[in-house]
Amino acid sequence: MKYCILTTGLAIAACSIAQPALAATGNVTFNGTVAAICTLVVTNGSGTMTVSPGLQSLSSHNAGGVAGTITATTTGNVAISIGAPTAITVPPADVTPITWAPTYSVAGAHTVAETGASSNLSTPGVDTVTVHLTGTKTGSDIFAAGNYSATVTVTCQ
Amino acid sequence: MLRSLAIPFFGLALAATAAHGQSMSPMRGEVTSFTDAFAVRVFPSNPYNKKIRIDIRVYDQNFQPVDARIAPDSFMLGAEASRPVLVVVPFDGNNERKVRICTESVPFPNEQTQIKAQICGKFLGTRRF
Repeated sequence: MKYCILTTGLAIAACSIAQPALAATGNVTFNGTVAAICTLVVTNGSGTMTVSPGLQSLSSHNAGGVAGTITATTTGNVAISIGAPTAITVPPADVTPITWAPTYSVAGAHTVAETGASSNLSTPGVDTVTVHLTGTKTGSDIFAAGNYSATVTVTCQ
Repeated sequence: MLRSLAIPFFGLALAATAAHGQSMSPMRGEVTSFTDAFAVRVFPSNPYNKKIRIDIRVYDQNFQPVDARIAPDSFMLGAEASRPVLVVVPFDGNNERKVRICTESVPFPNEQTQIKAQICGKFLGTRRF
């Protein structure tokens, strides 16, 4: 009798050892959404316009002129554009009309030749946006001595 | 003569430090409202290591100002910080309205930075009765 009970106990123990433990498994699903994002960082706010030898162009393109630069970081699906200059100041001696033309170009993850129109940045990346401003006089009008300034707005949307 | 006409048009921000800029999220959104206005909460952020001044403005599709309630509409934002801004836009009798909500960096006092960075999100509000 004792032998029989012992044998049965050993058999159960052996079965328990031979049977692998059942492991519970599960999946964890992660989801994420990256929305359209645009970051603008003004990296050079010291742009300078200089006057042309004929005194009819005041521009960051002229000799000695310095463009402004902005670093644009985007996840894509955005557009960049430049607005008409605002808060324009001219010296009192300048009483003739000036035509202002802000432009920009893009280099880096995207390439946009110098333009004043809106440009799509459809893919993600980091770009350097170079900003120029030019004031032009026509006919016999010329720029006067003194300080000129204007605010240029670069928009990412 | 030439040098006398050489003037800064973007300003004279300290060359050794990053200038001004910002970002904003979200930049797209659609809102359904059962009232005569719809609300959007945006989060302007300052990626710089110094505080900057932020203005929030609302424009229509032609960049004409929209008379919306913005709280707050102008504030100083700390370095690498973000904060919520609530914008409530009236439908003005329409059943839907598309607006741009823009965050604009404002030059610091006593500096002559004259380049303005503007980040605009496009939002559509739809009115349900």
